[in-house]
Amino acid sequence: MFAMKSGLPMLIASSVLALGSLAAQGQSDSASRSVLKGAAVEYLFPEQVTVAAGKASAVTLHFRIAEGMHINSHTPKDEFLIPTTFSVPDGSGVTLQDAAYPVGTDITLPSDPDTKLNVYTHEFVIDAKIVAQAGDHLVEAKLRFQACNNSVCMPPKTIPVAIDVIGK
Amino acid sequence: MKRNTLVLTGVLFILAIFAWAGWANFEYRQQAAERLLATAAKGELVVDASGSPQYVSPLTGKPAPAFELEDLTGKKVSLNDYKGKAVLVNFWATWCAPCKIETPWLVDLRNQYAAQGFEVLGISADDIDRDDAKKLADEKKEIARSATQLHIPYPVLIDGGSIDKPYGGLDELPMSFFIDRNGTVVAAQMGLTSKDEMESNIKKALGN
Repeated sequence: MFAMKSGLPMLIASSVLALGSLAAQGQSDSASRSVLKGAAVEYLFPEQVTVAAGKASAVTLHFRIAEGMHINSHTPKDEFLIPTTFSVPDGSGVTLQDAAYPVGTDITLPSDPDTKLNVYTHEFVIDAKIVAQAGDHLVEAKLRFQACNNSVCMPPKTIPVAIDVIGK
Repeated sequence: MKRNTLVLTGVLFILAIFAWAGWANFEYRQQAAERLLATAAKGELVVDASGSPQYVSPLTGKPAPAFELEDLTGKKVSLNDYKGKAVLVNFWATWCAPCKIETPWLVDLRNQYAAQGFEVLGISADDIDRDDAKKLADEKKEIARSATQLHIPYPVLIDGGSIDKPYGGLDELPMSFFIDRNGTVVAAQMGLTSKDEMESNIKKALGN
């Protein structure tokens, strides 16, 4: 009984460790292979902004789209296409008052010169108007988009847009 | 007595942890097996002699992975229902612009070769929410609206995501698998190609 009593914390600790490694193992294998390699869209900057607390402030967010890819603009021409949208989660200490999206470029796919798509390519910016409460807020905003190249489309995706917003 | 209760509680707690760990391990292994299956079935783009990229699927020459999905009316449709026919399994989505370009080709080719025993199964890869009946109904309505807009006469099945693993994952759309009358995949295409290439693969599936 004594051995059992003293071994109990050890057993609990080893159980927790085993479970921890199990969870880590699950995460390490989560990457999926894609014929289109790499991320379609990457958030560039700013990583940190300082704004006046409680006042609407303009922040220009810069993004890059992978070479050869395009994403739908905020106002795609087809109602079924997924528009690019930027959002800030509730309760982050920062609210998104407005987001101004760039005008997309009209393109046609080589196989269908009659159908126009309105897209972003290369780099684009979103002019966000945010209101931050006083303090330091690590905001994980989101960009939802759907990327394609001239012949294939990838499923819609939401990427994190991490910004350290300091409200002074 | 108090100490015994404490020890018993501790032992039960540990047993519960191990039971949970066992279950988590089972889940993990199942997911790993599914990932392995998807990886094994995943094709790749290979540049051919003429310099143009060709999609090569490891499923070619193998039996087509079986499936049973619902159509837009809720009727279960299985690949097995089409035994003896040549079938084109076409993964598409309402948000996929290249899919909308090739769909009219599929409609034409399906109508042209239907009499020879050919059918297309259009499998939507749009996300659906089975836990929310209202949302599911709306999502089905949207897929149906898109299918109507595209004048699709062949069966449109939903929840393609549930069968994506054996077909190599749906990381890119459109994706098509051409299955002969014996249920063997004879060709696969990833992305927008051409009506001629599709027709050539349909003929292969028909044994022409």
